[in-house]
Amino acid sequence: MSLDISFIGILIGSIMASSVPLILAASGELITERSGVLNLGVEGMMIIGAISGFALMVITDNLFIAIVGSMLSGVIISLIFGFLTQSLLTNHVATGLALTIFGIGLSAMLGKNFVGIPGKEFPILFSSLRESIPFFGPILFGHSIVLYFAFALPFLTNYFLKKTKLGLIVRAVGDSPVSASNQGINVILVRYCCILYGGAMCGLAGAYLSLIYTPQWIENMTAGRGWIALALVVFATWSPIKVLIGALIFGGITILQLHMQAIGFRIPVQFLSALPYLMTIIVLVVISRDSRKIKLNTPTSLGRIFYKEK
Amino acid sequence: MATDLRISNISKIYPGCIANDNVSLQFKSGKIYALLGENGAGKSTLVKILSGVISPDNGEVFLNEKNLKLSSPLDAKKNKIGMVFQHFNLFETLSVFENLSIDATEDNKSLRLRINEIFKKYNFSIDLDVPVLNLSAGQKQKVEIIRCLLRSPKVLIMDEPTSVLTEQETEELFISLKKFCDEGILIIYITHKLKEVLSLCDEVAVMRKGKVVSVSQTQNEKVETLANKMVGQKLAKIKKKINISKNKDEIFKVKHLNFYSDDPFETNLVNLNFSVKKGECLGIAGISGNGQNELFQILSGEIITPNTSIIFRNKEIAKLNPKQRREYLMAFSPEDRISQAAVPELKIYENVALNNFKASNFFEKGLVNERKIKDHSKKILSDFSVNTDNVELKSQFLSGGNLQKLILGRELITAPELLICYNPTWGLDVGAINYIHETLIKINDQEKSTILISTDTEELLKLSDRIAVIYKGKLSKIMSSEEVTSEKLGVLMGGGSID
Repeated sequence: MSLDISFIGILIGSIMASSVPLILAASGELITERSGVLNLGVEGMMIIGAISGFALMVITDNLFIAIVGSMLSGVIISLIFGFLTQSLLTNHVATGLALTIFGIGLSAMLGKNFVGIPGKEFPILFSSLRESIPFFGPILFGHSIVLYFAFALPFLTNYFLKKTKLGLIVRAVGDSPVSASNQGINVILVRYCCILYGGAMCGLAGAYLSLIYTPQWIENMTAGRGWIALALVVFATWSPIKVLIGALIFGGITILQLHMQAIGFRIPVQFLSALPYLMTIIVLVVISRDSRKIKLNTPTSLGRIFYKEK
Repeated sequence: MATDLRISNISKIYPGCIANDNVSLQFKSGKIYALLGENGAGKSTLVKILSGVISPDNGEVFLNEKNLKLSSPLDAKKNKIGMVFQHFNLFETLSVFENLSIDATEDNKSLRLRINEIFKKYNFSIDLDVPVLNLSAGQKQKVEIIRCLLRSPKVLIMDEPTSVLTEQETEELFISLKKFCDEGILIIYITHKLKEVLSLCDEVAVMRKGKVVSVSQTQNEKVETLANKMVGQKLAKIKKKINISKNKDEIFKVKHLNFYSDDPFETNLVNLNFSVKKGECLGIAGISGNGQNELFQILSGEIITPNTSIIFRNKEIAKLNPKQRREYLMAFSPEDRISQAAVPELKIYENVALNNFKASNFFEKGLVNERKIKDHSKKILSDFSVNTDNVELKSQFLSGGNLQKLILGRELITAPELLICYNPTWGLDVGAINYIHETLIKINDQEKSTILISTDTEELLKLSDRIAVIYKGKLSKIMSSEEVTSEKLGVLMGGGSID
């Protein structure tokens, strides 16, 4: 088998495509966690996004409605989480786990009639450039709008957190909700917004899977990507750019090890399948080993319930 | 413009406790007002009401005869009431500038300019771009104060501001507060430290059990009169009979204690040598941060240093860990009650069980003997007059004084031969301080020894038989308390020499 340069370009393009759902979900969850809320329901919100996007596409035959609808469904299901944890003060971890289990079950039920229906082709941008430029063509062009958005998102998130007033408020709430409240910041409102935003991004990540990446509905099609996204946020020490790096490594090794399996390397298949997880963790741990930075980036109040004094 | 703040008939009732009972007070700008009271007297509740954090059940607040609706901290801000809380309301992981800009309405550039103006005016200097967690307590407090000043406040409320400050920082704070006062800011100073009231404030209101019991000019008051008002009864004066006899046995002897650390926040200790006799109290004075932390940790066995010799009851114990040292009848009371001496989330009896001895039989065959621990805990609670008999109570709900009594009780009920305490009365009110002091004297009367590491010179002069001063990790010569005065100690604590 020849590893010519255009093949590598296509390979990189496919790696990018496979890491999109991780980038979207992890960027959303990062904002949620930065406000001090630990939402373990990422997997559940993603799968709900996947089925609602696909179902809306089949029903309305309109991809725009499908995409927006998937985000809205993510918002609605994360609203349940927000209401429970912020208004009824339930435990974040237990509520998040319940949300995932609920999401997987609900999506299977809703999706029963959609199994086996073929998806619709999602429009790609600059497809002519993709063919005409060798190597860089397949990397830079011929992707869906969602992919371009996903790759811009970590940078936008970084800018939002570091440079804007609202980002400062989100970080402040995550650092010390009591102080924030005493400064007159509406902690509950800020956290609700961050939870809903996280839900929207997870919904979009799910829709990317069912509408663009593998355009069809398969039960449990997120296949643990939500958990990977959660782990990425933690191992990237809440830094959006490192989330992007982590997602690319994970996507990259997943694709590479598939090729290695196909070629027939003499390495146990189980080890190759475990490789993406291992490598992602190792790389992220190594690039974020500065303990001072970890301390500054970690939302101090993560997962803790906030009571307002009366 | 003059400011006039009036509180009228404020009441706040929590289940099982009347925090504020019909409190009425009046404050005018140009003066510094003290609000004095023991822990739990209702001072903090009152200032939380004034800053809009909690709302009162009853009563009104008037600022220049305008009735204020303080239903959130924003309302207090809008009405130019600034507040510096005892537990800082800062965002530790954000930079100083971010902390200050979070509720600013102007752009970053003009904000920086204004902050620099304040720095110049009051002689502050803090790096704006470091995270707050790198600052000292005094610097953090300055950030809080600057945050208030940026909103050009009419009223500035300081809640127990000196409890975390060194003496040097306290002095600086007082100078700033007097400046603010001269500029027409009305200052309300909440404290339980009597001396601060007398040296800083013009007028003092004393609170007890949620009520205002007295309002007076500080020039007409003395430490004793204020203390009696605060506690509501006459406090006995405590002074130990100094007891130095040459022929008593040395029970504890430290030789060649050296400690070197790479951590810039730790102090190196240089060749400390001292001994303690039976029934004696050795006081170690010094401004905090001169090596007391490290000394305490080495004496208690948390840090083991090489080449040091510690002889206790004729045994070499320098290599033993705290638990082993306890078995030899040493006892320890660390400075930080909440995080070092006790676990706040655990119940009282569970905290008692942490101090587990072979002799105490708290654990049998790996199982917890709950009844035994509870009986033992009840005995501590009653013997050391802790203000509860409920051993199931979580330790975090005890006030500082009661927690300290519990800790001392836990340490003393095994009748140790040597008790080492570090700032045992830190942050406590006079009633509790008196009790702790009496207890420490009683220990010496029973021919047991104590080492008292303290930053409070008055306490040291009251309790010690001999005193040494620690400065930058070095120990001065050990002096008899009879020949020492607080002036002499002050000179030594500042690094001077008295010979």
